[in-house]
Amino acid sequence: MLQRIGEVIESATTRFTAGVYTLLQAPTVGTLVRAQTTASDLSVYGLVYEIRTVSREPGGRAVMRGRTYSGRELYDDEIYQAHPDLAEVLQTEFSALTVGFRQAERYYQYLPPHPPPVHYSVYPCDDAELVAFGGTSDFFRTLLFSPQIPGDDVLATLIRKVAQAHPAGHDYLIWAGRELASLLNEDYDRLIAILRKIKP
Amino acid sequence: MGLDLTTLSQQVRQMSSATAQGAAANTARMARVAARYHEETGQEQHWAAAVNLSRESFRWLLARPVEPFDTARDLPALPANYALVASDGSQIDLDRHGSAAYYLINIGRVFLRYGEQPLARLSSAPMLYYRDEDLYLGDGVNRVSIEGNYLSARRDVDEGVALVGLADEFLTDDLPALALQDGTLIRWTLAGAERFVQTHFLQRYLAYLDTMRQRNIPVASYISRPRSPELVGVIRLMFCPDLDLSAGRAAVCAKCSAIDATGNPPCAPCERLVDADILAAQLREGQRGPLCISMSRINIESYGDHLIHFFYLRIGHELARIEIPRWVAQDPDQVALVHALVYDQAARGAGYPVALERAHEQAVVRSADRRTFQRMLEGSLYRAEAVVGMSAKQESKSFVKG
Repeated sequence: MLQRIGEVIESATTRFTAGVYTLLQAPTVGTLVRAQTTASDLSVYGLVYEIRTVSREPGGRAVMRGRTYSGRELYDDEIYQAHPDLAEVLQTEFSALTVGFRQAERYYQYLPPHPPPVHYSVYPCDDAELVAFGGTSDFFRTLLFSPQIPGDDVLATLIRKVAQAHPAGHDYLIWAGRELASLLNEDYDRLIAILRKIKP
Repeated sequence: MGLDLTTLSQQVRQMSSATAQGAAANTARMARVAARYHEETGQEQHWAAAVNLSRESFRWLLARPVEPFDTARDLPALPANYALVASDGSQIDLDRHGSAAYYLINIGRVFLRYGEQPLARLSSAPMLYYRDEDLYLGDGVNRVSIEGNYLSARRDVDEGVALVGLADEFLTDDLPALALQDGTLIRWTLAGAERFVQTHFLQRYLAYLDTMRQRNIPVASYISRPRSPELVGVIRLMFCPDLDLSAGRAAVCAKCSAIDATGNPPCAPCERLVDADILAAQLREGQRGPLCISMSRINIESYGDHLIHFFYLRIGHELARIEIPRWVAQDPDQVALVHALVYDQAARGAGYPVALERAHEQAVVRSADRRTFQRMLEGSLYRAEAVVGMSAKQESKSFVKG
């Protein structure tokens, strides 16, 4: 089993947010992740659509640290080396849109009965899981029509990832493109924009 | 109705112009007093003896110089790797009008390591005190309640004990290390306390310093924008016509022989000046001033081997006061280490030590947390069927009644 990549810190019916244990080490946008629930045979799938690094203090903001008190210039990781306390006061977290769940080894691409509990673990998915989940297109609609998330980009990224993991990747891309075309048959421009993002 | 800001704004303007005028007059006076101080460079032993002689009869705070008055020691080289522990505390004081008798101390704990293997560990440790033996201190005859100043004293002790715990946990290798506290190491709050209270807290506090000494971890405290006038006290002695060291005659403020027609003694130019005013001109960035011993009564009488020394350190526009116990002050290497590390901490924190800033962040009890805690406590007391209730006064303050 793959190691967990985060811990749920906010949970709701349609999306959840997880904190990561190492600062700046979040899964990439478009990653399919699986959150554990209280029922051992039920896990919830989410697609990462946002990654952010923020102060742990409510309302807190980072300050610039690249020029030291004595006027020395620090760049990038040097700043983290010079201020080890940053890892303790900043937090990297990611939000995932809930796209389905798995129960008793079956995949469902609609909302789970309840969201993953706060503090439960979030795992990455292996290739087999990615291919199995990506094989059905019911969740495409969820991404395309969820407000306030970059759904087109997230979906395009996921399709590319599934194609890479798929034994017949090219066929998968063609299939996914057709599915998109039928969902977006009234919005040609948007369809073309997504297809361009999928093109290998 | 709350604060009447319209009425207040006029007073604020008056205050601002009065403050600005005062500052201009002060500059000339400050220069005169500082000049008197510098004239005496080389005579430190004389003045140390004068301080000892006049300690009892002098009305003003005093410091005994250990190094030349004009000392301005450059910033020593910073070790490539170092570690430090720091603590800070906050409290919820006993509330006479609250639902139950308790107080809470929250200690922020910080460990930082810099260099090849940077690491940080920040945490906080809350402790709720509600037993009789926590709430009161007694010697069989007298009994005092731990609140206000005494609670602060207890918190100071807890901050020290937390540093021992942090040192046990983290300072186990042989990296150069420092234990840093916020504020003073001199427990002024106990100066006026009853004897048994003083003994109770000081014993524990000094035991913490003992432990750090045994582990050879220098202890220092950092006072931002210090207002202490202890060196200024020495300058007052310099202005004093009554003092005669060769004749063994101390300065006795109560019998001052030179009070002028306006009722001012000769040392009046020193009025309201603080040590930082005097040393400001002689210290450049990163430099520290002379080591001195604080002559406050509690320090001289109770601290023994831990007798608190201090020096001023230039960090940006501010002179910070750094206090260290005697066993640190007598080891030049350790003084240099404290000097370098404290400056580095302040530099990393843009003027105030990072470790203390983080410790404070960990310790502080925000009003939202305080309310949550109080609700939690009241709910729990209620479920436990303990008798609770607010005082009528507390209840009257909870909302404005129509």
